[in-house]
Amino acid sequence: MPAMRMALYPSAALIALAPAGALAVDYMTAEQAQKLMFPQADAFEPRDLPVDAALAQQLAAAGVKPAAPRLQVRLARQGGAVLGFVVVDEVIGKFERITYAVGVEADGRVRQVEVLSYRESHGHEIRLPAWRRQFVGKTAASPLQVGEDIANISGATLSCTHVTEGVRRNVVWLDLLRRSGRLS
Amino acid sequence: MSVWLRRARPLLGTLVEIGVPQEAAAEDALQAAFAAVRRVQACMSRFELDSDVARFAALPSGASMEVESETAVVLQSAWALQQASGGLFDITLGRAPDGWRCEGRSLHKQAAAAAFDLGGIAKGYAVDSAVQTLQRLGCTAGWVNAGGDLRAFGAVLLPVLLRDEDSGGVHPFMQLGDAAFSTSRFGVHCRSQVWAAGGRGVDAHVSVAAPSCLWADALTKVVAASGDAQHPLLQEHRARAWLH
Repeated sequence: MPAMRMALYPSAALIALAPAGALAVDYMTAEQAQKLMFPQADAFEPRDLPVDAALAQQLAAAGVKPAAPRLQVRLARQGGAVLGFVVVDEVIGKFERITYAVGVEADGRVRQVEVLSYRESHGHEIRLPAWRRQFVGKTAASPLQVGEDIANISGATLSCTHVTEGVRRNVVWLDLLRRSGRLS
Repeated sequence: MSVWLRRARPLLGTLVEIGVPQEAAAEDALQAAFAAVRRVQACMSRFELDSDVARFAALPSGASMEVESETAVVLQSAWALQQASGGLFDITLGRAPDGWRCEGRSLHKQAAAAAFDLGGIAKGYAVDSAVQTLQRLGCTAGWVNAGGDLRAFGAVLLPVLLRDEDSGGVHPFMQLGDAAFSTSRFGVHCRSQVWAAGGRGVDAHVSVAAPSCLWADALTKVVAASGDAQHPLLQEHRARAWLH
């Protein structure tokens, strides 16, 4: 095994007192994620479904509160047949904001979850609309270079509870729509 | 300058990120590495009903069961560290430190209270497994980060940032190459406080760098429980610790 290489930043104690920086990583776009999840699909059809009163009631009965007045899903198709669904969602934790895509099979099972982007910052910044706006419409693309944009957080509580809950929420409403024939 | 392919998925109760140079077989290697992590989760999570850990918890006292080879490696490492640390490291979290034996892949339950929480060691092992998978599939460099248990190999010097747990944001801490690094927070309000319950324990972040992530992960608990960043076991495992 090669010898460990470690370089501590100079005067780590001083750095710890300096203002903390932010971190952002873009892993892939929604388009890349859907292709990765359903490589055999020849088309991805976007669906935009309003949450009407009846659907809202069904969701409430299933214990799910829709995060938006419209539900957006992409149908992965091959030769017209539905292979599955892809939903892109975003969750906010104490200090992080995670955009992820969940791929669901035609029978409702989760096929894959991929993180699209990760934002780590101060809690208050995450909740400021201006801070959020800078990412609207931003699509990650090019692979990252070694350098300042690669960084690994080693904190304690980096929990993915929010992502897990988000996946569950999306699976529930997808299931409702699928069973009522609105996703064919 | 290499171009890196990076992926992140929710696994092991955290976000697992893997990065490798963008080469021909990089995507396949990434998929295999994530599969290795998922396998560790399937064997060792308390929350997966079919895991070795869940089955052992339900096993009657006096009975034996066969565990997956991955689980056996982790249990034997845990046992060795429990002995070497005079009981500071204990995957039964005080329930029944001597209530189990693992010989080969055979796991024996000797006390009804014996049950495991591998949260202090399995994540590090999962990182090692993913790294070994990447290397076996021809990746010359890369890294795996399971929510703060991370390891880098090959020609990459990885900047490590520490998160400010109170106000958010991150601080640069070190650059790491061909080594593993783990950070845990210990103290009141933390799940990991059980490791520092002996009274000598610390209320701080503990970071450990070591050649493998299993030992980096596990040794943070020994440092936390002993309050000693110069604990002799660190040197034995060629590791180094920081309290911050």
